[in-house]
Amino acid sequence: MKDPNVYIMLMSSLPSPEALFLAKRPPLSRLKLDRRLRVLAPEHARALRLTEKVVHWGDIPLAATDAELVARAKMAAREIENETVRLLIRDRLEIRTCMAALRRRLRGEPAPASGTDWGFGRWTRHIARNWTETSFRLDAVFPWLREADKLLKDGESLPLQRLILQQAWKSAKRRKGAHQYDFEAVVVYVLMWNIVDRWGRYDGEKAVERFDRLAEAALGDHAKLFGEGRA
Amino acid sequence: MNELVVALGWVGIYSPMAIGAIGSSIGCALAGAAACGAMLETEGGYGRFIGLTALPSSFVIYGIVVMFTLNREVTPENAGALFGIGFFAGLAFLYAGIYQGRSCADAINAAKEKPEIFGLSIAPAAIIEGFAVFAFVFALVVSAGIPAAGGS
Repeated sequence: MKDPNVYIMLMSSLPSPEALFLAKRPPLSRLKLDRRLRVLAPEHARALRLTEKVVHWGDIPLAATDAELVARAKMAAREIENETVRLLIRDRLEIRTCMAALRRRLRGEPAPASGTDWGFGRWTRHIARNWTETSFRLDAVFPWLREADKLLKDGESLPLQRLILQQAWKSAKRRKGAHQYDFEAVVVYVLMWNIVDRWGRYDGEKAVERFDRLAEAALGDHAKLFGEGRA
Repeated sequence: MNELVVALGWVGIYSPMAIGAIGSSIGCALAGAAACGAMLETEGGYGRFIGLTALPSSFVIYGIVVMFTLNREVTPENAGALFGIGFFAGLAFLYAGIYQGRSCADAINAAKEKPEIFGLSIAPAAIIEGFAVFAFVFALVVSAGIPAAGGS
């Protein structure tokens, strides 16, 4: 689809990404988003599907190994012709590669052997070489790595997720650049929608936790009574 | 050779209207696409979006006025001037139409999110209109100096 009017119409029919981020839940349901995306040309719809398949956790099987994920990403990078979309995938997977390295190191694993498909992007060998350094000597590229390492060590999973999603958001926004009414803008929008959707889910879980804590505090000893009653 | 020069003169007379019409069409189509998209997303204010869609149509009107101003008997003496003024005025209307269309699309997108900034969001489109008005007015001023048939 080369007609720019279709992209103008599509992008105008979507709430702004900033509005997405301010909202607790995406103001646009996935069903509605998919309905709007029907105007995409088959080749663009396929490229978007491939991108989401690689980037969106919901499309990744739980049992998938690192090597399978890397193979999937490489396949997508080969099949997607659009340079900006390829860079978007790379950016996102490099964040994930860094996080995978931090988690491996925290588990006490040694640096991945060269030649193994454990991560994706430009820094896999660099990370393996600088395995013992707190931020793998990548402070200049990923200034958030030290904070991520600290949060991981402290077991602060929710702030850590927030940090990761913020970085993913920033990298997508950076790649958007001057793309306003084209396929790249649509891909960035969908990736941002997924980030907000994911963050909304975390926030929901957090709200449930907070409600439980408040309920416990408010009920005080009565909570025990109810608990005893149930037992 | 003279025939070619005279033909260029006729091109110059018709250009501002024809190329201006192309610019207006593209501009209205771009703004219209944004308006259609915005109407899917919003619950009201449709009239304002559609009104903004019509903004780039002014360029064809400027083109018509320039065309009538240039319209005269074409001779080898005045053909070059007719071509130069008419063609480049048309080109200015074409680009102004396209970019004003994009600007209107941006305004529609901004107003969709924040209806209270609708007036301000039109400012860039109005500035583009101003540039086209420069091209229009000075085409009229300069065309006054073109010699009529017979060199008078």
